[in-house]
Amino acid sequence: MEQQSFLGFITDHLGQFLGYTAFANMTVGHLIMIAIGLIFIYLAIAKEYEPMLLVPIGFGILVGNIAFFPGLKVGIYESGSVLNYLYFGVLQGVYPPLIFLGIGAMTDFSALISNPKLILIGAAAQLGIFGAYALALALGFSPSEAGAIGIIGGADGPTAIFLSSKLAPDLMGAIAISAYSYMALVPVIQPPIMRLLTSKRERLIRMRPPRAVSKREKAIFPIAGLLLTCFIVPTGLPLLGMLFFGNLLKESGVTKRLADTAKGPLIDIVTILIGLTVGASTQATTFLTAKSVGIFALGAASFVVATFGGVMFVKAINLFLKEGNKINPLIGNAGVSAVPDSARVSQVVGLEYDKTNHLLMHAMGPNVAGVIGSAVAAGILLSFLY
Amino acid sequence: MLFKGKLSIQLLLFGVLFCLTTTVKAQSTMDLRINEVLVMNQANYIDDFGQHSPWIEFFNSAYNTVDMGGLYLTNDLEKPTMYQIAKGDPTTKIAPQNYLVFWGDDHSTRGIRHLNFDLSSSKLVALFDANGRTLIDVVKLDQTHRTDTTYGRITDGGSEWGFLDKSTPGANNNTKTVITSAEKFGMVDPSGLGMAVIAMSVVFSALALLYVFFKNVAKLYTIDYRRLSARKQVVASEKPADGSGEHTGEVNAAIAMALHLYRNQLHDHENTVLTIRKVSRTYSPWSSKIYGVLNNSR
Repeated sequence: MEQQSFLGFITDHLGQFLGYTAFANMTVGHLIMIAIGLIFIYLAIAKEYEPMLLVPIGFGILVGNIAFFPGLKVGIYESGSVLNYLYFGVLQGVYPPLIFLGIGAMTDFSALISNPKLILIGAAAQLGIFGAYALALALGFSPSEAGAIGIIGGADGPTAIFLSSKLAPDLMGAIAISAYSYMALVPVIQPPIMRLLTSKRERLIRMRPPRAVSKREKAIFPIAGLLLTCFIVPTGLPLLGMLFFGNLLKESGVTKRLADTAKGPLIDIVTILIGLTVGASTQATTFLTAKSVGIFALGAASFVVATFGGVMFVKAINLFLKEGNKINPLIGNAGVSAVPDSARVSQVVGLEYDKTNHLLMHAMGPNVAGVIGSAVAAGILLSFLY
Repeated sequence: MLFKGKLSIQLLLFGVLFCLTTTVKAQSTMDLRINEVLVMNQANYIDDFGQHSPWIEFFNSAYNTVDMGGLYLTNDLEKPTMYQIAKGDPTTKIAPQNYLVFWGDDHSTRGIRHLNFDLSSSKLVALFDANGRTLIDVVKLDQTHRTDTTYGRITDGGSEWGFLDKSTPGANNNTKTVITSAEKFGMVDPSGLGMAVIAMSVVFSALALLYVFFKNVAKLYTIDYRRLSARKQVVASEKPADGSGEHTGEVNAAIAMALHLYRNQLHDHENTVLTIRKVSRTYSPWSSKIYGVLNNSR
């Protein structure tokens, strides 16, 4: 064997080490993705757009796009890597139901119980899901992919991750990023559509103050909600079951500790894990494709259609309601389940036209109904397309 | 008495749990199916000893892993415990919707998946549960078998049997290209309009049910049942014998007095009540020794 000089040894191994660095493996795609991650972090910190989600996702994008030498069990898609183990919760749909548990434990359904007809607005706004599904089919996506893309219109990140992990795991990163991005942009997307579809007179409609809801009604809601929705769509059970279970923990009044854990440490831990791993799953090599661009375009369209569906439905049912019982169509946008952002949009737009007309509490009704509606819609898509 | 009540509830719960767990276990092994059999093997699947032996394939139709360890295989229903599959071996576990092949070659010394009877001379093959009594599945082999042609279920776990075009040990019996439900849906509804109509109807139905329920629950809650029943009782007790339903002057006077007293005694605030609460204060400058001692200058 030929004796290698010490200098040669050092040079060879340094060269080998340099081959392992991100500089050697970096591509333009990685740089683009890192830029996107930085934009997410900037929007979260400077503009406070959904910081709880955009900070973990943005940082996850940075983590996922540090180029590495393959085979070292580092990447999120490499079996046996730590990130791959954490990603298991996303791939197998473990995290979304846990997030729904927390959402259930922190959601007050009083607005919905006091005025049950607002539930139907939550159903109408799901039009965005099926509008995007039809558009995705027209653009050449397969039915499974179209179903996974369509759920972006539900404006519900965990539901989008849950469904896309089942129907189109390859597109999950793009779908999740798209869903969360547009959820953060709800205050930008929805107001122009709301103004376009409503007259000034409609925007000034004052709604009756909601009645007080008894403790017993609140405790019955999760039980009846689970039985009535899951008997129709059992495929929505992982999401709806956990949502209503979390709500029962809150409303029963006897499991305060469990409710506090579900809406506090548990949801925080899962949000960190889901945000980071979904972000890291956007490796340039798998993420930067023409399909991802299509998904972003369809995501925007789905939000527009969902807002349209909610507002137009309120206008339609107002035709049958007596004066004094009419619903302000500005709460129609809140049928998408971006809680509480879309309800806040209703409040802000409503105040623009009447400084004393507070719509927030009324808008919370369709908003939480939207959470149930999008989970039901996900269950339907799963039963037809899985 | 209370203890007795609690005990009976505990026993009931235990009984329910026991029934559930035993049912779950039974369902797991009961989901096993004899799926495909090759009786005359001349040039077909080769075993791990390089032999062309008769084989039998089992299919786990459940959506959980099922362990065949401890179950019995036989070719005689009178002797259900003819061959017990060894327990504790990882190779006897069948993943969900998966397969396991055994060799019916009458050479059980060759391994746990080699049976102690010969399928080529058997009239049937049966699978019994670990208790040796519960029959899980049986297939008769009295057809005229063809060499190297397998007899099996047309679709995995299905009820229809026949000679298969291709022998598929450890694989799907249906060798035609399977169209997924999503693909079928896409072919029938290429525009997505059907999906939109069906899905929106279902979403509306589910949420409309909630609406109807809570609309009526709200009505039920606005009724004050106690007052209603109390009023009924009062009306029944005060109803005059002639049935005219009118109150007498004394009753009206009593009601008026009661209302007068009630309204005059209403007040916004509760009477103030002073209470003395002992406050534990271990240190106070008022009781400090420092302030009670003269600090003479030197």
